[in-house]
Order: sequence, then structure tokens, then C-alpha cells
Amino acid sequence: MIDIEQLVKRHGARTVLDRVGFQAAPGRVTAFLGPNGAGKSSTLRILVGLDRADGGHALVAGRRYSELAAPLRTVGSMLDGSGAHRSRTARAHLAWVARSNGIGGHRIAEVLDRVGLTDHARARVGSYSLGMGQRLGLAAALLGEPEVLVLDEPVNGLDPEGIRWIRGLLRGHADAGGTVLLSSHLMSEVAGLADDIVMIAGGRIVASGPLDEVTSGYADLEDAFFALTDAEASR
Amino acid sequence: MTAPGLGSAVAAELDKLRTLPAMLLALAGTIVAGAALGSAFAAAAVAGRVALTATEATLATVPYLQAGMLVVGAWPFTHEYAGSQIRSTLAAMPRRPRLLVAKTIATLVAAGLTAAGTVAVTWAAGAITLRAHGIPEGDVGLGSLVGAVGYLLLMGLLAAGVALLVHHLVPTLVTTLSVVMIASPLLAAQSEHARWLPDRAAQQLYAATDAVLTPGTGSLVALGWVMAIGGIAALRFVRRDA
Amino acid sequence: MRLIRAVSAELSKCLTLPGGRAGIAVAMLGSIALTVLNAMTARRALASGQPELIASASPFETAFAAMPLGTVGAVVLGVIAIGSEYTPNSPDAGGGRQIGTTLTALPQRIGLLSAKAVAVVLLVVGIAAVTLPVSIGVARLIVGEFAVESVSVAEAVVRCLGGTLYWTLTGLMALAITTLTRSATVPLIVLIMNNSLVSFSLLLTNLTSLAHWLPDLAGRRLFTGIDTVDGGLDAVPGAWVMAAWTVALLLVAGAVLRRRDA
Repeated sequence: MIDIEQLVKRHGARTVLDRVGFQAAPGRVTAFLGPNGAGKSSTLRILVGLDRADGGHALVAGRRYSELAAPLRTVGSMLDGSGAHRSRTARAHLAWVARSNGIGGHRIAEVLDRVGLTDHARARVGSYSLGMGQRLGLAAALLGEPEVLVLDEPVNGLDPEGIRWIRGLLRGHADAGGTVLLSSHLMSEVAGLADDIVMIAGGRIVASGPLDEVTSGYADLEDAFFALTDAEASR
Repeated sequence: MTAPGLGSAVAAELDKLRTLPAMLLALAGTIVAGAALGSAFAAAAVAGRVALTATEATLATVPYLQAGMLVVGAWPFTHEYAGSQIRSTLAAMPRRPRLLVAKTIATLVAAGLTAAGTVAVTWAAGAITLRAHGIPEGDVGLGSLVGAVGYLLLMGLLAAGVALLVHHLVPTLVTTLSVVMIASPLLAAQSEHARWLPDRAAQQLYAATDAVLTPGTGSLVALGWVMAIGGIAALRFVRRDA
Repeated sequence: MRLIRAVSAELSKCLTLPGGRAGIAVAMLGSIALTVLNAMTARRALASGQPELIASASPFETAFAAMPLGTVGAVVLGVIAIGSEYTPNSPDAGGGRQIGTTLTALPQRIGLLSAKAVAVVLLVVGIAAVTLPVSIGVARLIVGEFAVESVSVAEAVVRCLGGTLYWTLTGLMALAITTLTRSATVPLIVLIMNNSLVSFSLLLTNLTSLAHWLPDLAGRRLFTGIDTVDGGLDAVPGAWVMAAWTVALLLVAGAVLRRRDA
């Protein structure tokens, strides 16, 4: 369960997030949609404790991220690609991540296999392709068998097979009772996967609710997206 | 339309350096450090009632200023590996030997300008400080000042050679700083063979104190080090995949 | 428990990075190699009856002369421990930096900095525990029957401990300063230079005697080998001053890290 309320973030005089609030429920895939620069990444970064909010709060399982004792066992997140140092191997990267949260070493091979990187586990991360970096980021997110997954643009750089695979993975996670929050600007990828939609434009939430509710009155999700986000942009 | 020659390759490399904030920072930092150090040495001499000319003050700053030269020399050969710019460069200039020549010339220009500018500013700062205390700046001794420029230039080239070998700034700096700042004086304290180290040999250019090496042979020894390191690195750069 | 996990993660990070391994190699192999060179020179000079050519006939002093390379290793470890978090990944692999992963794994930032500090201390002390005895042993072996040991065992032990403390504090200062700069270049240049004979701090002593209170000069007597200037603080008060600098810098680094967006 993710609970975000009245979140405010300013960079100098510019308000990046203006009282952003929404929820992501267990058993459902929540898609966080908006144009580039709308505030998706800022919201997710505050949610996992990377950036500080100037107001409001973002809670996971009822607590602030920094209060979680072994956060990776509750929340798996992927922001900003692989999140690994370029000189390290994938295996070494996952090893320290596992250690930091007291996760058993056997999980490393399991997640590497799960994301299809077993054959590249001993290669330096700097030599990876975009898709492989993305897979490594996912592997780190899955490492602690978390209940909640927070993913920023997870399909970036994945090939068609990879996109299909991640859809299956996220669907399966939600169906097993997990919470999935993913951001995207690719409507077609989201339409077939998301249960709930949250739309953000110019730092404000412009729509949120179940997919069919948000899209009712529009031809499809893309149509709804442009109608709702353009309305905010022209305000 | 004629095919672009070496001239435009050099111009492109100089453009890259000119528009790289870190490079400008290293260049400006070295010059500012020179001014501060030249002034400090002159002021310390005045305070301690030691006779010192502006040129002597300048030569005393050279061991400090070489750190800046190491950065200036290393940047041209490392900044392209911090991202994927090296691919754009190789797409634009696929003939690698010529690219290397162009890079080397651009580095020579940048390091030469930094070295000459720094020595000039350092001398001026020393002279002004002395004059401010009513002390004349003394003999210019142009020869040793030119020697100091040469020494700094050689240190820049040494860093460039190491940089071409290891591709990244941090290992380049750790290696060259450790050798020049730490290992060389430690070895020199124990053994006369230390004179063959690149920095010791090149020092003859502005402080001819060695029993064996002269300014000429000293700079040749230093140049030999640069050529040996740079040569191995160049061979690898030309042959290997980017 | 949480700190132990965090420290073990930090140790694992450092040991799987080429930069971290290089730092260890510089400190250990560099010091030993330099000792071998110096000891061979000393042996030749002593064997040919020219002791005036070398600084000291004592194997301990010969080995201890290589101490500054260990300081370089400690600086590299301290810088890498936090600097590597901010190294951008190759854009082909999606760019990004490791700091995001680190902070999602360990959201308590003071805890993170403490874990890094403990890891640096463990590594540096470990390096010293191997390097110093091996260097001294190697020097004794090489200089052999020509050796004139002028340093008593008790003095040798005290100076080794002092040297280890100096390395450790320098490594921690490197960690703190790099936390503030988020880039390795400036801390590397300043800290390596200040441990050489052309140190900015040493230069400052010409202008003001307050410079003796700067951390590197205050701690200088911890391994007295090189007495380049007279004056300044004695070993014990100097060590306290250097330690105070280190703690202050770490506190500032912690406060900044806590407030900063990743």
C-alpha cells in the first residue's frame, strides 16, 4: 500500500510538485502517467527517500521509507536505470545490495535468472546495453522479495520480448497481492496492464481512479491523457 | 569541397577543450593558484627578511603548480570516456592515428598556454608583492622561467600519456600525483638513480643541479618517458575497439 | 545489527571496485616495493662503506620512509568510498548513479556515512597491519648484516601505531571532504599534495604559525620520520587536533548529506 498526501516540492522559486496526493492499492497495478517533467520522477524519488519533500508525506505500508528497518524487503524500486557503478559486475552489485539489507546470498542467482542476466553476471555494468541495465535495476528491485514495487519507466530500452516479460511479471506480482506503482509516458504499454491510473501534469494530479473510470467519455487512454494533460498545460 | 585535413581535426579538438567547463576550470585554477603562490612566496621572504627575486619565487611555486598541469594534460584524453562522446569523435574522425596527432597538438597548445600563462602571472604576482614592500623584483633570468614553462609542459604531457593509457581521470591523477609528488622525492632521498624519473630529469630545465643530467639531456629523458608511455597507449588506441 | 550489515555492504562495495583494489595495492605493494628499492640502495651504500650516501642505516627507518605511499592509499580508499556513488554510469547502460540504489537500500544517511567510515577504518587498519610488519621485515632481510638498528622495539611499535592512526584519520578526512564535493578530483589533489613535501599547509607555516594547527601538520609527528620543519604541535596534542578536525569534517559531511537531495 502506497499513500501519498499533499506532497509539495520546490526547486528555488519553481514548484515541481503542488499538493500531489494519490494511493496505490495492493493487488492492483497503478500507472503514474504524465508528460516529461510533469513531476513523476520527483514524486517517486521522494517516496523512496532520495529527495526531501517541502510539505506533505509519502508512506509505504503506513510508514515513511526511512523508517523501514530493511527497506528492500518491503519496497523494491528502480529509478534511473541500473543504479550500479560502471566498474562493478552485476553479481558484485547485487551482492552488496543483498548484504546491506540482510538478504540471503542465494537470492542473487535467483533474481539474475529471473531477469535473464545469468550469462552476463560477471560482465562490468558499464559494458551493458540499455535493456540489460534496466534488467539489472529490476533484479535489484526484486532481490528482497518485496510486497511493493516502485518502478520509474520500467519498459525503457526493453525489446518487445522484454516488454512482454515485464508485463507478465508485474501482473503476476499484483495478482499475488502485491502493490505495483509504475510511471510511464507510453500509453499503449500501460493500457493493457494498469488497473488504476494516476495522471500528473505541471506538478498537479489531474485525474486518478480505475482505468475505465478515467477513460470513460474518451476514445481510449491516449485520448484521455491528452485531453486531461493539455487542459492542465493551458491553464 | 576538399576533404577536411589535420588542421580541422586540431580545430575540432581545441573546440572540445574550449567548451569543456572542467578544462577551463583546471586552466584558470592553475593560473590563479600560481598568482596566489607567487605572492605567498614573495610575502614569506619579505616577512622572513630573506632576499628573493620574483623569478626565484616563481621557480619555488613550480612543484605545486605541476598538480594543475597534470589535470590540464589528463582532461583531453579522459573526458570523452566519461560518456559516449568517444563514439561521436570516432564517427567524425575515423582515422585514429590522425585523431591522436590532432589530440596531441591540441593538448600541447592547451598545456603550453596554461604553463606560459601561469609562469607569467606567477612572476607578476611575485614582483607586485615585492614592489608593494618597496623591494625591487630583481633579475628576470628569462632562461630559467622558460625552463619552468618547459617543465610544466612536460608534466602535462606525462599526464596525457598516462591518461591515454587508462582512459579515466581519477586513476590518471592518482598515478601521476603519487609518482611525482610522493615516490619521486622519497626515492631521491635514498638513491641517486632517482634522477632518471621523469620529473627529476625534467627539473634540470629550471634548476640545473644534477651531476649527470643537463637541461638538454634531462628534458630528453623526460620526453622519453612520455613517448614510451604514450607510444604503448597510442598503439593500443589505434588497434583496439573503442 | 543494522550497522554490521551496512558495514559489510560497504566493505563488499569497496573490494569489488577496481579503484578500491588499486588503493589497497598502492598502500601495500607500493610501500613494500619502495622499501625494497630503498633497502637495496642502503645495502649497497653500507656494503661499500659509504653510509653518508643514505638517510639511515636502520631497517626500520628505511621501511618507514615509504609511509607516505600508505597515506595515498588511505586517501584513495576514503575518496572512492563515497566518490564512486556519484560516478555516472555509461549512458548506454541507462546512465544513472549508484547513490540512488545505496540510499534506497540504506535510507538512514547518518547510518550510511557511519558505515562508510567504519569500512574505511577497517580497511586502512587492515592494510597497516600487513604492510608495516612486512615492510620492516623486508628491509631487515635486505639490509641484513649491514644493518644498524637505531630504533628500539618499543619505539617502533609506538611509531607504527602512530602512523596507522595518521593513515586512518587521513582516510576519514578524504571520506568527509569527498562527501561534500561529490567529486574525486579536488580531494585527491589536495590530500595527496598535502602529504608530499610540497604541501600547502607547510607553505602556510611560512606565513602564519596558526598553520601548525591544520590537520595534516598537527598529525605530522605521528610518524616523525620526516622532520621538514621545526615547531608545531607535539605528537599527542597534534593527534588530538587532527582527530578533532576529522570528527568536525565528518559531522559537517553528515549534516550536509542528511539535508541534500540524492
